[in-house]
Amino acid sequence: MHVWKSLGERRGLIKKTKAEFGEELPVGESVRQITRRDFFRFSGLGFAAGLAISCKSKAVEKALPYLNAQEGLTPGVAEWYATTCQGCSAGCGALVRSRDGRPVKLEGNPDHPLNRGGLCAIGQAQTRGLYDSARLKQPRMLGRDCGWNALDADLAARFTAIKARGGKVRVLGGTLLSPTLKGAIQGFLGEFRDGKFVAYDALSCAAIPAAYERTHGTKVLPHYRLEEADFLLGIEADFLGTWIDPAGFTRAYASRRGPDNPRPMSKHVQAESGMSLTGSNADERIRLAPSEVVPLLECLAAALGSGTPGENLRNDLRIKATALAHDLIQHRGAGLVVCGVNDLYAQILTARINHLLGNDGHTVDLTRPSLQKQGDDRALAGLIKEMGEGQVDAMIVVGANPSYDLPAGFSIAFGKVPLRVSLALTADETAIACTHLAPEHHWLEAWSDAEAVAGTLSLVQPLTNPLFQTRNALESFLAWGGRPASSLDQIREHWRKDVFPRQRVVADFEAFWAAALQRGHVQLEGGSSAPAYREDAKASLRERITPKPAAYELLLMAKVGLGDGRHAFNPWLQELPDPITKMTWDNYLSLSPAAAKGLGFEQGDVAALRPEGQPELMLPVVVQPGQDDRTLAVALGYGRKEGGPKEWKAVGGNVYPWRSLAGGFLTAGPGALQIRRTGARAELAATQDHHSLEGRELVREMALAPYLRDPASARPHEQPGPSTYADHPHGKHRWAMVIDLNKCTGCSGCVVGCQVENNIPVVGREEVARKREMHWLRIDRYYEGSEAEPKVFHQPMMCQQCDNAPCENVCPVLATVHSEEGLNQQVYNRCVGTRYCANNCPYKVRRFNWWEYPHNGEIERLALNPDVTVRSRGVMEKCSFCVQRLMAAKIQAKNGGCELKDGEAQPACMQSCPAQAIVFGDVQDPGSQISHAMRDPKRFLVLGELGIGPAVSYLTKIRNAEPVESKGSHHGA
Amino acid sequence: MAPDDHTSALSGAGLIEDQQDRGYGHVLPLIEGDKSYSQVTEEVFSTTERMPPLKWWLALSVSLSLLLLGVWAITQTVTRGIGTWGLNRTVGWAFDITNFVFWVGIGHAGTLISAILFLFRQRWRTSINRAAEAMTIFAVMCAGMFPIIHMGRPWLAFWATPYPNTRGPLWVNFKSPLLWDVFAISTYFIISLTFWYLGMVPDLATMRDRARSKLRKAVFSVFSLGWNGSNRTWSRYETVYMLLAGLSTPLVISVHTIVSMDFATSVIPGWHATIFPPYFVAGAVFSGFAMVLTLMIIARKVMDLEEYITLRHLEAMTKVIIATGMIVGMAYGTEFFMAWYSGNSFERYVFINRALGPFKWAYWSMVSCNVIIPQLFWIRRVRTTPWMIFILSIFVNIGMWFERFVIIVTSLHRDYLPSSWAMYSPTFIEVAIFLGSFGLFFTCFLIFTRLLPVIAASEVKGVLKHGEH
Repeated sequence: MHVWKSLGERRGLIKKTKAEFGEELPVGESVRQITRRDFFRFSGLGFAAGLAISCKSKAVEKALPYLNAQEGLTPGVAEWYATTCQGCSAGCGALVRSRDGRPVKLEGNPDHPLNRGGLCAIGQAQTRGLYDSARLKQPRMLGRDCGWNALDADLAARFTAIKARGGKVRVLGGTLLSPTLKGAIQGFLGEFRDGKFVAYDALSCAAIPAAYERTHGTKVLPHYRLEEADFLLGIEADFLGTWIDPAGFTRAYASRRGPDNPRPMSKHVQAESGMSLTGSNADERIRLAPSEVVPLLECLAAALGSGTPGENLRNDLRIKATALAHDLIQHRGAGLVVCGVNDLYAQILTARINHLLGNDGHTVDLTRPSLQKQGDDRALAGLIKEMGEGQVDAMIVVGANPSYDLPAGFSIAFGKVPLRVSLALTADETAIACTHLAPEHHWLEAWSDAEAVAGTLSLVQPLTNPLFQTRNALESFLAWGGRPASSLDQIREHWRKDVFPRQRVVADFEAFWAAALQRGHVQLEGGSSAPAYREDAKASLRERITPKPAAYELLLMAKVGLGDGRHAFNPWLQELPDPITKMTWDNYLSLSPAAAKGLGFEQGDVAALRPEGQPELMLPVVVQPGQDDRTLAVALGYGRKEGGPKEWKAVGGNVYPWRSLAGGFLTAGPGALQIRRTGARAELAATQDHHSLEGRELVREMALAPYLRDPASARPHEQPGPSTYADHPHGKHRWAMVIDLNKCTGCSGCVVGCQVENNIPVVGREEVARKREMHWLRIDRYYEGSEAEPKVFHQPMMCQQCDNAPCENVCPVLATVHSEEGLNQQVYNRCVGTRYCANNCPYKVRRFNWWEYPHNGEIERLALNPDVTVRSRGVMEKCSFCVQRLMAAKIQAKNGGCELKDGEAQPACMQSCPAQAIVFGDVQDPGSQISHAMRDPKRFLVLGELGIGPAVSYLTKIRNAEPVESKGSHHGA
Repeated sequence: MAPDDHTSALSGAGLIEDQQDRGYGHVLPLIEGDKSYSQVTEEVFSTTERMPPLKWWLALSVSLSLLLLGVWAITQTVTRGIGTWGLNRTVGWAFDITNFVFWVGIGHAGTLISAILFLFRQRWRTSINRAAEAMTIFAVMCAGMFPIIHMGRPWLAFWATPYPNTRGPLWVNFKSPLLWDVFAISTYFIISLTFWYLGMVPDLATMRDRARSKLRKAVFSVFSLGWNGSNRTWSRYETVYMLLAGLSTPLVISVHTIVSMDFATSVIPGWHATIFPPYFVAGAVFSGFAMVLTLMIIARKVMDLEEYITLRHLEAMTKVIIATGMIVGMAYGTEFFMAWYSGNSFERYVFINRALGPFKWAYWSMVSCNVIIPQLFWIRRVRTTPWMIFILSIFVNIGMWFERFVIIVTSLHRDYLPSSWAMYSPTFIEVAIFLGSFGLFFTCFLIFTRLLPVIAASEVKGVLKHGEH
């Protein structure tokens, strides 16, 4: 049947446009079809690959990334390898796209049981840490570059001397996920009479294992199973943003946030002092001061029949706590209380509450505990004491930067250790205080393994030859322990001995190894037996710290982009707008609107903040709606000075020294806080200045109960206006996207994923302040309601690929045109840069190259995606729905001689979304996921009434709360 | 007959009675001083034949300095990028297109005076039409510069013209108002230039005849196209001039209509308005006359042309200003009414934001300069006092610049999604380019006043009250 779309076409006046690229896909065909152009293209890529490989320093190891895929390798065609992300200690499974021997893009491994395909912003940005010219390029001894042999010889002599006199050797590390590395460290330390490994986390959760030691007799961090929770109470725990395992938690959390799922939609209540990403997604938020966490928990426990409620709790909080306890009892065994405060008593109470609610074994898994935070703050305190007393003879720091992120006492004590070795990748704050630097590989260059949750093991495989003369940490410890071996051999050995026997599925180790390497992980059966509850409540009460009453309390938080600060020199992460404040490139003091008013501050004023016994720090003020009025919040992870590029200016101030180990756990010091106005103003680099929806129906929201009564009531009523122009003819595919606002948490992983995939330049602080950030995909965040307790909306916004795109008909030179697959294509070569398209874009998603953005040095440039053009000055750019990925998928399907299947073509944002909030596909395929999503009654268009026909649509946010007021819905409730 | 007098037989002379003769006692004379034809010739042409006075050199040095500043700023823009301007992801046009529309508007008076007033037999145009037409050409040159330099890659500006190329089907987009601009502005420029030149041919012949040096004679011989002052020549000339006037008349409407469509065809609230074409045309005439007044008041003083450009001319122009100014004022009111009446919340917000938002100073400057201050022209004393007219004309120039700034910037900076709202402030480079455009304009104008006859002598002779010579 020939469908005609206009009278002109029917009468044959309009000839169907000849599909220019519809049939022939020029890339990736067999070699005999290579044209002269292709030849040069491949030669160029070969040169780039050569550049990467030519940095290698030693003989080619047997195990290269091409281990399994050497055959059929085509230059210019990407290869994918499974590995484990080491960007933080969460240990998410990752897939790395490698182009001609260099990794260019990280994505979540859909098979990995923890993150199931999602990857957070920090994970996505890891390639920039690999291609970093500020990395140490060779070992260094007493301030002088040296070779590995010299370093090893020198260290061997020193270790021998220490052994001889029975001295103390300490290894201080962050959370090390690799069992093999931990084994090697233990092996090395075993040579000494007094050798000990101490782990700590800059963002410490050490109070949780300590609490479980008290309550259950086992010092473990439970694996919280958010996917099992019908009722979720988060207390100061930013589990969607920065706490323990954000990507994994987001995945689990989002799986229960759909109102149409077979399992009921979870209810999420968040009690917190600052406005965290997690709090912004909660169905209900309770504001409290940090000092009110313990009284609230006490009140909850009392309502559940344990202990007495504390005296000093506000009445409204007491009422809320009673109501919460009621709700929690209703969801016995399917509720979960998580607390992010690093306070032993608070964690004991949390553990007790979860026990009382019967959550142990359901939502709180103690048999297969999490290993994602292995820090032990008490051991750390002991170590600092030991060092301070001059008892430690040698100290090796691996995977941590204690001089930066521990209280000042550490650095003083550290100086008293005669032999200080750092394995850091860069000359960071700790490394410059060390005598010996033995830089380890970036994890994308190294063999390793990881056990993030007991029983879930994964492998880390190198994606490129080491760029510099660095050495795998594992090999360093093996060498210093006197048993030098290659890291691959060591890991295989460990897996053969310890991992392989713990499974029954595969009988042959080689097959087991190959499968593990290919899939990236193995899941082992069994676990430890469930520990019984055996708390001594009286002893617990002795851990209660009663804080001194103060007008203002300090909250030291972590930020989504920067985490603990180890990636502070990663420009992608610095330029990532904070999901809540939308600030980039800065650390600031967050104040609630009332507190700002009370203290006489306005947004952008510079405040001088001074905790007792600390030097004053100048910070710009950011007024944060929804924050507690007594809380002054500052983010950790800023103010890094060492280990970055030479021209780098320190970003923000470091508030790690404001923490103390006095109570046994790393927390903000208890001292009084002084704050004063300086009268100065700072320019803040925010990507969004206006936070109100202005009463516009740009996002829609509805309460759960009326939705469940009548899902069709969510359907928007307004009709798009008519169009002057006829519909575009559509070819084989027509791409569309649906974003589920119920699942999207605003975590911003997609923003970095998009930036990496599409070679989007970083523009720097000044340019962001001028509102010239280049992100193709941004997340709009709106507040609604009162300033004190606003509702928060996150809305990912990118080119909506309109059918009647306003940008298309205003371009004088046809530089932006419609494809027959429904894409709005930007032709960089043709663009003359009138910016009319950007002016006429109602979504303001087009980005102009104001300058020739430098893509940094020779090494940093290697992070560029060779599939995407680097745009030059003066041209417009924007989201392309990752057209290069669509092309690649189509080519692959064509080469395979089959039709493109649903889900094979995925834009970067969709692939990496930890919440799986994005559905993308071909609407002309009636069975596709996208076609299903398009029929969802919750679906609405942003500015659909303009009649421009956006191909991106959104699903109404359903809140599991009382239907007080609902926006944009017509359910009559 | 003296050779320099053969241009006196303007056939139009005497066709229409001067209004002064009809008994309107208060009407001021068109040309004062009871001039003879030779006196007119001497006074108009002698300025082109002697070395310019010191005050001319001073004025030229100032305007050349501004031009150089502009050249420097444009060099910065082209070599470093549009990043040197204050634009951002939300406000993609500001000074650039404001200046473009401003200069196009200025350029409007020339055609109006030379074509429409000619067709309507408004004889008071004769003393000012030459200078006004020159002003048009220089203003269009200034205007035309902005769409080119505002491009991210101005070296590829020629892609916006439909020329045969080797890129197959890749051509220009006929749906784009920017393309219509290319046609509208270039047509306008070519027609205006032709009109100006043709109208000058009799005067060029006089200059040829008066020329002493061989070179001068040769040059003007070429440009006067063999003019011999015969009845046949005059007749042909008159016909062509009339035809060109007819051809130019639609341009007065079309150019600014098309310029207004740059905004009207968009989807941006504050731009997307059907009132724009008439509103812009009225505004253009308004600003054009203001600029003619500004220039003429200076020129008549500096060049001692008070007897040619008389109060009569100035008063006539102030009346045009008050009429068009009120049309513009009504358009402002209509925009607000429509924003309210449409019930469209985006549209409403844009207008509330214009009047009360962060750019309210620009909006109220515009209203004061364009609507309130010109009301003083109701007072006859103001209309006939050159220094007062001068001050008021400056206000109108400022107001009309702000009008374009308000339309462009306040509509863009807060459009549909509040997440993208942003502010705009110009950089020094942008201001320098703007000043540079004035430099270009005045440099051209000053050179024109010394090279060519500022007054259309042949036409003035036709309106002299006494035909004796």
